[in-house]
Amino acid sequence: MWTVFKMQWLRLFKQPVLMIMFLGLTLVFVYFMGGAQGAQNITVPTYSDELSSEELDRWIDRLNEEDTFQFVESDYETVFDDIRMNETAFALGLTENNYEFLIGREDMEIATLIQYVDQIFTTEMRLQDVEDRFDLEDITIRNFIEVETVSRSAAVSSGDRSQLGVVVGMSLYFSIFSILFLMINLVEEKESGTWNRLIFSPLTKTRIYMGQLSHYLLAGTFQIALAFFILRYLVGIEMGTNYLEMGVIIISFVFAIVSLGMLLMGLIKSPQQLQVVIPIVTTSMAMLGGAFWPLEVVSNRLLLFIGNLMPIKYGIDAMTDTILHDQTLSQLLTPISVLLLMGIVFMGIGINLIERVSEN
Amino acid sequence: MLETKNLTKAFKKKTVVSEVNIYLEKGESVGLLGPNGAGKSTTISMISTLLPPTSGEVWFNGQNALKESQGLRKVMGVVPQEIALYEELSAYENMKFFGKVYGLRGKELESRITHVLDLIGLTDRKKDAVNTYSGGMKRRINIGVTLLHEPEILIMDEPTVGIDPQSRNYILDMIKTLNKEKGITVLYTSHYMEEVEKLCDRVYIMDHGEIIASGTNEELKSILSNEETIQIDVHTLSMGFQDNLLHHSSIRKVTEEGLGYRVIAPKGEDLLSEVFELAKQTHTKITGVSIQTPSLEDVFLHLTGRKLRD
Repeated sequence: MWTVFKMQWLRLFKQPVLMIMFLGLTLVFVYFMGGAQGAQNITVPTYSDELSSEELDRWIDRLNEEDTFQFVESDYETVFDDIRMNETAFALGLTENNYEFLIGREDMEIATLIQYVDQIFTTEMRLQDVEDRFDLEDITIRNFIEVETVSRSAAVSSGDRSQLGVVVGMSLYFSIFSILFLMINLVEEKESGTWNRLIFSPLTKTRIYMGQLSHYLLAGTFQIALAFFILRYLVGIEMGTNYLEMGVIIISFVFAIVSLGMLLMGLIKSPQQLQVVIPIVTTSMAMLGGAFWPLEVVSNRLLLFIGNLMPIKYGIDAMTDTILHDQTLSQLLTPISVLLLMGIVFMGIGINLIERVSEN
Repeated sequence: MLETKNLTKAFKKKTVVSEVNIYLEKGESVGLLGPNGAGKSTTISMISTLLPPTSGEVWFNGQNALKESQGLRKVMGVVPQEIALYEELSAYENMKFFGKVYGLRGKELESRITHVLDLIGLTDRKKDAVNTYSGGMKRRINIGVTLLHEPEILIMDEPTVGIDPQSRNYILDMIKTLNKEKGITVLYTSHYMEEVEKLCDRVYIMDHGEIIASGTNEELKSILSNEETIQIDVHTLSMGFQDNLLHHSSIRKVTEEGLGYRVIAPKGEDLLSEVFELAKQTHTKITGVSIQTPSLEDVFLHLTGRKLRD
């Protein structure tokens, strides 16, 4: 088994372009689609025709006390033009005792923004009310709802989840490419005859399969782990500290994908056909499984049902849950079990098909 | 040493090998001769335990090799028809891997690699990737990796397909040396009768999945002992002349061979004067006539009515 395992690594080191390319693509896509942008705050142009410049500044400072949104001063004309030209999705207008939103297009952050501004506004109004009732100049009224503020900062917005979903989804998506393209080696070995040469040898089939599959498992795991490591330490994306949970999720996910690969190898005979099928399978699986956009935006029941059959969905869900909500292994039991179950089923059918093809 | 009993393989109700019975004694060199599609590779795949037969048995040293395959696999070397190597790796790396697969390690593995590289004449190129080799060199390394564990029995499936005559002779001489000097038992399949004639002590002739004749070269040729082969070279091929030959009562078979005809006829018949007469009738100019001893090709032609390379 180890001889076969080491041989596969030697082959990979001789021709590492594929793995390096997909790792590079992971980083590039994550950087541009999720990671780098996700690390920044969401900018909210803020204007007021009624408030003085000082009052507006005071409100903006208050709104910027938390990092979720970045409120920047603007004026109505600029904001109106930006929304008209689709350069900004929304803006906040402040009046003396109220506020309004100018909304140019649907954006998944709007609900969170409205909730946030409402909370701040209500708090401030309440404080103002108290201040007005007790007309005592030597008393300083401070925000008494500290607990609420803490609660707010610890909460996870849907934006956080969708951004992390893209980061995780892209990493998993490209790892599927790497694993499945790497697994074409197995079909090529059957075609070139090296597989048969191993069968002629005293090695048992189980050991040959174990050597091959453990290589794909480790290569896939290594790629995802390396991608996460780079994204965490070089790009600066928050990945949490639940390393054990993340490791178990990665291994379960890679096992499911390697097994899916075996199923594909059993169904499709030639490397040329696989090179066409793999991108189709991988991309459609990523779309349906929520790697490119959150499944919350999908309303079609059939698509959601199919999405539930995609291993990548469980990989993304489990990973975001452990990173954002600190979920432990016992809480992640469902997605991990589904991934392992998928792996076992795919592997069983796949090996059966491969062996049946060999005998015929 | 190795024996098959009624070995049969059917794919989706189509029988491609039917009740093949062959045996190999220790140290023998046995040929399996037949045209493409005769079932040679399928037979070899079953003997080497790669492909389970539909029915029949393979016995090796008194053991059923299909049930106890490990015994045979340890001492068997199979040279497949294709270049079954990791072509992006060097000859040395391929040898090291396949040596380890057979349990060789350390100094023993290194010494075997050195010896085999020397035997196949690739010591100077051992560090080059196999995909940079010529066709003949690839064939040699393809055989070389099979020799590392010093197999007792070597099963070769058309190991010289698609290479130049010089490389072919090198390989044939090497196999002959391995058989005669090292005592390795050889089962050699080919559709080149010259190779089988040169290498093998005994020959099985196969066609349409069945063994149609077997014996030593001489025994097989004796099938044609009462016949002789006449090669008639002509200036231009003539359908009329060929028809005349075919309809001659003493001529058994006529086939086109280059710019001429190969005729099998009973020995002792004074046929030549009649052949010249037939040529004259059809205005065919004969440029040469030779009477040849029968070859295995003639035996195959006699048995099947077809040439080996048809």
